[in-house]
Amino acid sequence: MAIPNSEGSHIRPTPPSPFTIHASFAEKSVWIQLISLTLGLGLYVVVAGSMLRGGTDVLIAYMPVFVVAVLFIVAVNVVGHIAVAIASRPNGPDERDRLIGWRAESNCSWILGAGVIAAIGGMIAGVGEVWVAHLLLLSLFVAEVVKDIIQLVYYRRGMSL
Amino acid sequence: MSRSDTPIRNRIRTLRFHHDEMTQQELADRVGVTRQTINAVENGRYAPSLEVAFRIAAVFDVPLGEVFQYEPGSA
Repeated sequence: MAIPNSEGSHIRPTPPSPFTIHASFAEKSVWIQLISLTLGLGLYVVVAGSMLRGGTDVLIAYMPVFVVAVLFIVAVNVVGHIAVAIASRPNGPDERDRLIGWRAESNCSWILGAGVIAAIGGMIAGVGEVWVAHLLLLSLFVAEVVKDIIQLVYYRRGMSL
Repeated sequence: MSRSDTPIRNRIRTLRFHHDEMTQQELADRVGVTRQTINAVENGRYAPSLEVAFRIAAVFDVPLGEVFQYEPGSA
């Protein structure tokens, strides 16, 4: 809708950007990271979960699955960023991108901290190393995913939440 | 009028109009931020740093107060 300004002209306000087309490169990068983490570590959790249920209690047995998951995450990130860079203009992060990243990190750092404290508690209680390692990995995974989600909320809704 | 998250109002849209309908991308390039940041500032979803605010005013060659107004209690 055109609105009159103080000079009597009519100026059409620029509407907020629709999500799919006008996201910045930094925001698209967060989406790629969120998708790759969810797919890669989700896959790991499914496989490792079945191994844990099957009674595998040697940490080294999980390494191949973990390496595959990490390689998958890296591959999705690389391919995704190349595709986005080709499809749109790749900008470096500006002050808003950096502020969103810092604030999201600040809001979810407690998750990793809680995981570390829980892992220490588990070690004291004599829980096996496999469980301690997976508790640490899970807290890292959840912290990263929550950080990405918070960043996306800030990009879409503003930072006054 | 779009929902505003900050108590800072701005006249960027009007100033762009009076500068040959300058695009957000053109303003963003001259200020040194992304177009999405200019869009967020213009729609009241982001309050820029003082430096970026001064840069925006410098692009339009007007004092800072002609671009941004502080209206406490309006967010």
